[in-house]
Amino acid sequence: MRTPKKSKYVKPRPIRDRFDAIRPRFFAFMLDWMIWGYIAYAVMYFLQRYWWRYVDFYNPLKLPAWGWPVVILGTLEMALLTHAFTQSPGMAAFRLRLVGTDLQDPTWAMRIHRFLRMNLMLLVQPVLFFQSKRGPERLMHDSAATGIVIPIALLKDVIPTKKPRPWFLTYRGIFIVLLLAMTFWLGWLVSKMAPSKLVSGWSYASRIWGELFDIRLNYLFADVNTKGLLFSISYYMAETIFMALFATALGTLLAFPLSFLAARNIMGFSPLGWGIYLIMRFLFNAIRSIESLLIAVIFAVWVGFGNPFAGSLALLIHTVAALGKLFSEQVESVDPGPLEAIAASGARRWQVVIYGVIPQIIPSYLAFTLYRWDINIRMATVIALVGGGGIGTLLFYWKNEVGRYADAWGQVAGVVVAIIAVVWVMDYISGRIREKIG
Amino acid sequence: MEDLIRIENLVKIYERGEVLALNDVSTTVQKGEFLVLLGLSGSGKSTLLRCINRLIEPTAGTIVFDGKDVTKASSRQLRHLRRRMAMIFQQFNLVKRSSVLTNVLSGRLGYVNPAASAIHKFAKQDIADAMACLERVGIPEQAYKRADELSGGQQQRVGIARALMQQPDLLMADEPVSALDPATAHSIMQYLEQMNQEDDVTVVTSLHFLSLARRYGARILALKDGEIVFEGSPAEIDKVKFKEIYGEDAEEVEVR
Ligand SMILES: Nc1ncnc2c1ncn2[C@@H]1O[C@H](COP(=O)(O)OP(=O)(O)O)[C@@H](O)[C@H]1O
Ligand SMILES: [Mg+2]
Repeated sequence: MRTPKKSKYVKPRPIRDRFDAIRPRFFAFMLDWMIWGYIAYAVMYFLQRYWWRYVDFYNPLKLPAWGWPVVILGTLEMALLTHAFTQSPGMAAFRLRLVGTDLQDPTWAMRIHRFLRMNLMLLVQPVLFFQSKRGPERLMHDSAATGIVIPIALLKDVIPTKKPRPWFLTYRGIFIVLLLAMTFWLGWLVSKMAPSKLVSGWSYASRIWGELFDIRLNYLFADVNTKGLLFSISYYMAETIFMALFATALGTLLAFPLSFLAARNIMGFSPLGWGIYLIMRFLFNAIRSIESLLIAVIFAVWVGFGNPFAGSLALLIHTVAALGKLFSEQVESVDPGPLEAIAASGARRWQVVIYGVIPQIIPSYLAFTLYRWDINIRMATVIALVGGGGIGTLLFYWKNEVGRYADAWGQVAGVVVAIIAVVWVMDYISGRIREKIG
Repeated sequence: MEDLIRIENLVKIYERGEVLALNDVSTTVQKGEFLVLLGLSGSGKSTLLRCINRLIEPTAGTIVFDGKDVTKASSRQLRHLRRRMAMIFQQFNLVKRSSVLTNVLSGRLGYVNPAASAIHKFAKQDIADAMACLERVGIPEQAYKRADELSGGQQQRVGIARALMQQPDLLMADEPVSALDPATAHSIMQYLEQMNQEDDVTVVTSLHFLSLARRYGARILALKDGEIVFEGSPAEIDKVKFKEIYGEDAEEVEVR
């Protein structure tokens, strides 16, 4: 048996091995490289766009094949440059700082030396990294260039407290402001912002609005299509509500037991349990990140386009994953004290769950279920966009009939009004229930 | 008198942070004894108590409870041993959203029909016993309240009632009165004393104040940095011993 040092926390060494030393620096460098890659993208976008507009409309600017290596190497060099000369955004994000071997701010000569050495070392670093016999926190290019990048936390006592410059006078401050400005400019162009369209489109829009405000509710109960292919608004509304209800109710029932399988404090007692925990967590996270609209596409082609079963299944699956994740976080954050007390009295593990865990999580489970209900009812109204059934079926039907029927916009407005009314009522009900349990 | 607990060369190392919390602790606790654990916070009192019922797995050493090796017990055997060792806590550790009665009944989970317990069904006898336990700690009228509606002193009484429900041979208390005001503290300590004297329950409790230990303890075991620095009767603790346990700067304060 190992005999560790006596009592109290034996402080872990700040940097254990050279992987430990290089990890934050690697991530910091990658972040910097990504930032420069983004800048390169923006520059190319601006060049192309303004070339096309002001220089040559017919021969758009294209990056030649040899351009890619240039872009990659160029961004790499820029990342190295910011890394060698300043505290780059990446270094700041990972709390790193460049200092000389005397742990003071590096001199200019040192920075230039370091930049050149880093270029050199880029070629041989992988070999030297594994062969280095020096201290783990000193990597090869550091010792060569008489400078090191180390976690700020280790410098707390070393660096004399100089008055820090205001942020707009630091390289990083200026860099970040320029980056934000560029992002705004790029975003403006990419998302085709054009406020003048608000004015020029007015006359057309006001005509459509006129049609829209002529709200038609004549199909509220009467079927839209006499052959029975399209039903009334109330028919689809019932479909919508039941889709959401089915997905929420069954989703909660399924997520409840599954959430325990994805909770570390329940499963983390055996390797098998740990495995199940990791798998469940991965599944929840993976499925949760796919919008139910996308899941509905799969089921619409599977069980039939426009079939509410497809929409219900999509909502159900997303609900199980989202609630399972939320629920398991609740399970993980229960007060462990009562569980300890119940286990200490000789109860079985599942009894501890029933008497210790479940009473603690029930209120938040109810709250999350109601919250999910609100989401599902909204999603159910539009899932017809991809053939998931529900009231959206009518909405998109009428939208596509614009031009064929004079009152199509009015019918669209009718459906929209019905949706707003139902969502509002459902929100009100769940809000009242929330008040009661909260 | 017979030994109820025999602890031999107990070592506990917390892997996270590499803390040596207990270093080669050996002692015995006799049946019917009232043992007080003393020591600064961080000295390993909670760790020692939790090793006895294996809420914490010891790193090395043996713990024998009434002739049975706790450290080698299977999970089933451990459950059966735990039924005989009750525990109360500094933070009471009640399920706050459950009723007081349910909290008391949960002390009985090791004994009851598991299938019935899954649907919160308890035998009439168990419920009558739970009410009797609440009666004994003087709060029968609170049985149907939610546990978090009670005051700290009342919550600790529920903790004691839950322990009584087990009809234990051993009662372990981890700083049972540290979260309570002095007057309430004494009333809680008196319940422990009563269990010890009337029901022949062996009591092992950690306490913060030496004055409480002097008042209630028959024997004192003091820990410092995970090692036993004193073992003996309260009267033996003089100024020198006191400084050894609590450090040079400490002054003894009185809890009345
Ligand atoms: N779960 C844990 N992980 C790591 N270290 C712990 C843990 N619990 C307690 N310790 C450490 O073990 C030592 C003993 O703690 P503890 O038994 O709680 O002391 P006491 O109850 O006397 O205050 C302390 O140094 C504490 O920091
Ligand atoms: Mg403690």
